[in-house]
Amino acid sequence: MPAGWWLRKRHYFLYVVREFTALPMAVWLLWLLYEIKSASAGPAGYQPPKSLGFVVFSVVCLAFSVYHSYTFLKLAGVIMHLKVLDRPVPSRVIVLTMFGLWAVASLVIGGALIWFAK
Amino acid sequence: MAEKRVATKEKRIIIKATRFDPDKDEKPRLQSYDIPFADDSMVVLDALNHIKSYVDGSLSYRWSCRMGICGSCGMMVNGTPKLTCNAFLRDYWPRPIVVEPLTNFPIIRDLVIDMDDFMHKLKSVQPWIIRKQELPLGAGEHRQLPAQIAEFQQFSQCINCMLCYAACPVYGLDDTFLGPAAIALARRYNLDSRDQGLKQRLPVIAQPEGMWECSFVGECSVVCPKGVDPAKAIQQSKLDTTLRFTLPYGNRD
Repeated sequence: MPAGWWLRKRHYFLYVVREFTALPMAVWLLWLLYEIKSASAGPAGYQPPKSLGFVVFSVVCLAFSVYHSYTFLKLAGVIMHLKVLDRPVPSRVIVLTMFGLWAVASLVIGGALIWFAK
Repeated sequence: MAEKRVATKEKRIIIKATRFDPDKDEKPRLQSYDIPFADDSMVVLDALNHIKSYVDGSLSYRWSCRMGICGSCGMMVNGTPKLTCNAFLRDYWPRPIVVEPLTNFPIIRDLVIDMDDFMHKLKSVQPWIIRKQELPLGAGEHRQLPAQIAEFQQFSQCINCMLCYAACPVYGLDDTFLGPAAIALARRYNLDSRDQGLKQRLPVIAQPEGMWECSFVGECSVVCPKGVDPAKAIQQSKLDTTLRFTLPYGNRD
């Protein structure tokens, strides 16, 4: 396989982007774990970085995270083989349910974080 | 109408085919052939047959049925794995068409690849109905409901054309991977209500080089000429196997 195989087709490129998005997300989550550990010592230990660079990195990570979640949930309809009343559930229904649950979970978690921050 | 027919007869197309003679050539090369594009129903396989019959009889390639059933004539057509009997010249003309052997396989000669690795992998998943104890013929046929057939029918359409292996970068990077078609066929038999061979196939598909090697590129399903969707078969096998080993009583026959 030539090194540039993933540039040969759009499908290959999107696959590599999907896999790559996990890397910056992992770095961001490691930072989050570090911050949680710092905060465990009390408010004095919690000093989140406020530089523009970190904000930009976080926004990029958010975009990657949304793309990764989108591809994952879209593919879930292909993977899951569910039956209700002995009839297979169409993959479209599974995908829509997944996206619905994702939206609800995001709202609940986002709401809770804002609530506690107040 | 007559004028149009004459004009169509004059059309020509360039076919660039891979040539490789292991006794003479160090590496494969492309050779151009300028051939008549006689009518719109011509496919790439017709073009290759024209070259072999009228231009260069030494061109080697596999083919048999010319109707998308046998799976013999799979090649790379302008970089995409295709059955050449199903790739119409009209979709490429007037640009040249590059015909190469399926990627990810060793080349034997010209457009002929060595399919031993695939045949070995296919056999390893035992793609046939396995019974713990065969019933005598007098006992009659194994009956199935339409819903039971629908469970596996999609995966039974595989014609072993190997286009999915040529499209799979995971197989291209590591040829120990069992591959899309073999796993799709294992699933086809595992889903068959007549089959009792699941526990014989599991050690093969659940090994590290089996389904877990797949990272869901999905290109195998894109190129499949029969709509089999091997990527779906592999991911469903992963989920089923995980549930078998995690749920209480999941590891039943």
